[in-house]
Amino acid sequence: MKERLYDLIFICRPATPEEDINKIVATLEHSATEHGGKVEKTERWGTRRLAYRVEKHREGFFVYMVVRSTQGDIIKELERRLKVSDAVIKYQTIRLDEELKRQQKLVHHRERRASHRPRKQAPPAPQQQVPPPPAEQTAAG
Amino acid sequence: MSDQPTQVPPAAPEAAPAPSTPRAEGHSGGGASRREGSSGGGGGGQRREGGSGGPGGPGGPGGPRRGGKRQYFRKKKVCRFCVERVDFIDYKKVEMLQPFLQERGKILPRRMTGTCSRHQRWLGEAIKRARNIALLPFATEL
Repeated sequence: MKERLYDLIFICRPATPEEDINKIVATLEHSATEHGGKVEKTERWGTRRLAYRVEKHREGFFVYMVVRSTQGDIIKELERRLKVSDAVIKYQTIRLDEELKRQQKLVHHRERRASHRPRKQAPPAPQQQVPPPPAEQTAAG
Repeated sequence: MSDQPTQVPPAAPEAAPAPSTPRAEGHSGGGASRREGSSGGGGGGQRREGGSGGPGGPGGPGGPRRGGKRQYFRKKKVCRFCVERVDFIDYKKVEMLQPFLQERGKILPRRMTGTCSRHQRWLGEAIKRARNIALLPFATEL
């Protein structure tokens, strides 16, 4: 099965101690490995202001993870754990591999186009050979 | 219509001012003078047809300004993403998405920002994802 790439963001309550956050991250990583996945990147964005109130909180501790896996069930398991956890107030998973594939296709097409057709430079002004009639008349006259 | 040649000589001195003030002639004169005015106007009406061809002709890029409410032609806006050759609009980058939102948090229409249709679609998707994860608001109070 093709490898899938997921973006996972979750928000913890602002007053959550760092150990709890580390514990959640460790649990997720463990679950991911169990289900044949791999956590590629973990970023802690820290406490940020939320755009709207979530469970009566105006701020939250953002954590961002990138998960790579061949099985789709892994996300179900990870989200279940996040839902159960008290500290997590919001989470979102986005599947990114199709988008990246499309992005790469666009880049590839663009490079191919650039290599096949060298950009034609604007041709010089066309030489309009229009003999001036009055000059001819005077010559004829 | 057969009366016209007989009426022309007496109408000659009246026909001269007729093209200049045809309406006045029509008002002051009787039914006969009205006909003369109309015949004089018939001769002048041909000229008016040439005048009516003006607005019917090519309007040009600006277009005929009817009402004058809005300009038909706005300054040409280029899609910002096409210029930068952006292939992926990241929902996590709030500062990139912020300029495309109104003060109330609504997504700006394409005609305001000049974005092309493809990038507008991607932009909308990214903004909605950001809204879901509380990076951007759904709606703000003014």
